Amino acid sequence: MKSSAIRPIALVLSKELTITILLLLGVSFVVFTILFASPGDPFSVLLEGQLSTAEVRAGVREAMGVPRSWTLQYLFWLAGMLTGNFGTSIRTGLPVLPEVLSVGLNTLILTIGSLIITLLIAVPIALYSAVRGTDKISWPLTMFSYIISALPIFWLGYIAIYFFTHKLGLFPLAFGFSSGGQKYRWLYQCLPIFVLGVGNGTISEVIRFLRQEMGRVMAEDYIRTARAKGASVWKHSFKEGLLIPVTEIVASKIPFILGGAVIVEQVFNWPGMGRMAWQAAQDRDYPVIMGIAILAAVFVRMGSLFQSVVYVIVNPRASKE
Amino acid sequence: MTAAPTLKIEDLHTYFYSRDKEAFIRSVDGVSLEIAKGETLGVVGESGSGKSITALSVLGLISARPGVISGKIGFKSDRIQKNLLQDLDDFVKLTTKGGKIMAVSKDVVGWERKAERVMNKLRGKEITMIFQNPKSSLNPFMSVGKQITEAIQLHTSMKTEPEAKERALTWLDRVKIDSPRLRFDNYPHGLSGGMCQRAMIAMALACEPSLLIADELTTGLDATIQSKIVDLLLELKSQLGITTMLISHDISIISRLSDSVTVMYGGTVFEYGPTKDLLSAGFASKHPYTSALLASVPSKQSIREKGYLQAIEGDVLDTINVPEGCRFYGRCNQVTEKIREKCARHEPDLREIGSGHKVRCWLYFD
Amino acid sequence: MKNYSQRPGEISESWGLPIWKKVDRVDLAYVGYGLVIVTLVVVSYILGAFHLLPRDPQDIDLGLMMAPPGTAGHLFGTDFMGRDMLSRLIVGIQAYFLPGLLAIFIALFLGALIGVLAGYWGGKFDTGITYFTNLVDSFPRLVLILLVIAAFKPDIYYIMLVVGLTNVPVVTSLIKGKIQFLKQKNFVEADVALGVPTRTILLKHILWHNCRSLLIIQATLGMAEAILMETSLSYLGFGVQEPTPSWGNMVQSGANYFMQGKFWPSTAPALAILFTILGFHLLGDGLNNILEDKRNA
Repeated sequence: MKSSAIRPIALVLSKELTITILLLLGVSFVVFTILFASPGDPFSVLLEGQLSTAEVRAGVREAMGVPRSWTLQYLFWLAGMLTGNFGTSIRTGLPVLPEVLSVGLNTLILTIGSLIITLLIAVPIALYSAVRGTDKISWPLTMFSYIISALPIFWLGYIAIYFFTHKLGLFPLAFGFSSGGQKYRWLYQCLPIFVLGVGNGTISEVIRFLRQEMGRVMAEDYIRTARAKGASVWKHSFKEGLLIPVTEIVASKIPFILGGAVIVEQVFNWPGMGRMAWQAAQDRDYPVIMGIAILAAVFVRMGSLFQSVVYVIVNPRASKE
Repeated sequence: MTAAPTLKIEDLHTYFYSRDKEAFIRSVDGVSLEIAKGETLGVVGESGSGKSITALSVLGLISARPGVISGKIGFKSDRIQKNLLQDLDDFVKLTTKGGKIMAVSKDVVGWERKAERVMNKLRGKEITMIFQNPKSSLNPFMSVGKQITEAIQLHTSMKTEPEAKERALTWLDRVKIDSPRLRFDNYPHGLSGGMCQRAMIAMALACEPSLLIADELTTGLDATIQSKIVDLLLELKSQLGITTMLISHDISIISRLSDSVTVMYGGTVFEYGPTKDLLSAGFASKHPYTSALLASVPSKQSIREKGYLQAIEGDVLDTINVPEGCRFYGRCNQVTEKIREKCARHEPDLREIGSGHKVRCWLYFD
Repeated sequence: MKNYSQRPGEISESWGLPIWKKVDRVDLAYVGYGLVIVTLVVVSYILGAFHLLPRDPQDIDLGLMMAPPGTAGHLFGTDFMGRDMLSRLIVGIQAYFLPGLLAIFIALFLGALIGVLAGYWGGKFDTGITYFTNLVDSFPRLVLILLVIAAFKPDIYYIMLVVGLTNVPVVTSLIKGKIQFLKQKNFVEADVALGVPTRTILLKHILWHNCRSLLIIQATLGMAEAILMETSLSYLGFGVQEPTPSWGNMVQSGANYFMQGKFWPSTAPALAILFTILGFHLLGDGLNNILEDKRNA
């Protein structure tokens, strides 16, 4: 990449970053509105939990008066979040942010791992269909991907666990992350990644999208030229036909995968933010669920940003805008 | 013909099966032509006459799956001599019912594998093709220079980057692109249409192929650029003596650049002969279609006199429902009573009526 | 050399071909299967609503636990408490059917409304809509629902409201795109020039004639999603509670038995989910292929 190309790329990226920030602000706004509208007045809980000492709390309550102004509450809350204060969990009393971040990491591993699995399945099928067109194999493959996408993922999880524990002769007393001393423990820990990767319900759409994009690119004029000059069609079609569509579809499916993670973490007792969210919903633990909602949105927007970055680097025309 | 021609197409048929209409679309329906070494053959015709498909058939670039090609495409260069369509028929099975073709089953994989085995050695190296719309025909994700060096590294003995780059730069210069070193790193969207076309020409010729096919080279370019490209080609032609098949619907370009001309219509060849004979105003024996084509180009005189444009009446041929007799019968303005019956019922074959001049018309056959 | 000749003049026009020749057989199969499923769902919903069940879904029969399908009087067998599986499955549909319709209705109604606004009067709406679309897409649906559950209560109608709202951007952009397409083809201009009243243009010409296939397809996909959401939530314990059956909580309560090798209590509802969601997906995709793409062929 030439140095002269860096400047326009940086410009485009800073534009994308600004948009991301605006979106995250919107996210915080939506979360706030939901909590604000809640009948239980979670904000007194939240805000009082966020502010440090009793005097400060009393002072703020007085300053804000009755009824408390909505915008002020929002700003306080937002300011709190930006300084890293997400409140404390109602259930455990611990500050929310560090907890959520540490389980968020586990979910991140789960998400990325499962995305890789999904791609490993979807990409070969999509490419094969794009190149060969409708074939004897293509219909069973399509049917297969439809069925996989309609499977309830929790049931798939059960099947995986059963197969693992019974067929491989293992007997986990607890399905926990830290159950010790079993030979296949590491493999068992990979199981949720496989289950989420296969059963997240997006496979048929991913295949369809990738095949469509690759098919479209294969019909382009410049591929015809590449063929005519005896060059490798794959080399020429890869960027627009595979790389960019993959980043696009991955970025757009991250929300879906995160949703699936909530269930998978439940099935396998994986200590991620999905499981924490489930617990928080049961306990009406507002600060925790709020933190998780925001972190999830951050993950999604990071994925989107990543896609923009790849697009700008790969596409020489992008930086011209 | 003393030496074997570089390209000899014999009775080429390229059909596409349409499931909607349960019939073949007969894009190329019996085309035979020859190009001698060093000769430039112009192929002229309206859109839909099958000229591009003929060229694509030669290169094996017919991408529509239910396409069938029959005939013989003989190719001879210094290094290799081959029928490009050999044995491909074996991969096609037709299901017919009462003379009507119901279904085509083509072993696509087998066909492509066989065809590719032959064509892979030839494409880019022995036979190259350049297309219209140069801007979209170049990979927008790769710099122009890189695309040229890719071809050079694939097909010539210059396998290293610096060697290939040198050669590419020489050629960029040869096609009259200004500041070749700068343009080398440009992307196609940064180049004008004319420059892209020059780059495509450089890319095609840098590997010194035995046959160059140019499909509507100048269509889509501005008029002034068009004539510059034609000048460039004339120059390259005299310098290199490269065998060319030049396809265009623009008669003026054909007349400037080609040694011989083939006139195509409705998937067949109507007339063939040396350019100076066919396209000059004085020569009498010309297919009615060719005459009509020539007449439709406004001359200086007709512009001065503000005369009407001479269009050819009627519509382009329906390539599915091909009529029984001569394909031009409905639109021909030179039909005489003597031959009307023949024109309507029997398709004339291509016959030689002068030295190297062939025509497919009943007018000239008694 | 093969002879590919055929007699001229024997070509049928594409309009004359019957639909099963024009259209991919596969798509017809998809739509057929989908319609079967839709019928089953609707019929089951009605049966469930009027309690016209083969057996009482709460009827415990400890002597006949986990009977396989086909056992006397139990077409689909029984669950781990001897309750009739078929009746429970039928009642399970109650949990998602009406709420699903709510979600679909919200998505289509609001989506069409905003889509028409954006597409027809365009311009300044555009950036706002893109922003909101991206905003809504930033949330994983399930997490958002959990947030709503924590803030309010685990009421399936609230949840479906959320599902419906989060689907609005998709419908909006589809309708907007369609309108822009129509504008590009000058249909709208022609209508206006002919003096057609705006309400007619919007309702009859645009929405009914041009967008209805799109809306139907979104409805099928919306129902599929509603089923997915409801079953996931009831699996997680947030929906209908035991002993009232919902497909999700049925799978969950059969979990322990599954691990002991007794698959049926969990598998029966799981298969129900699978085949039903599959039906809606195939219906949507099949209709999409038939109605949207092929028309241009």
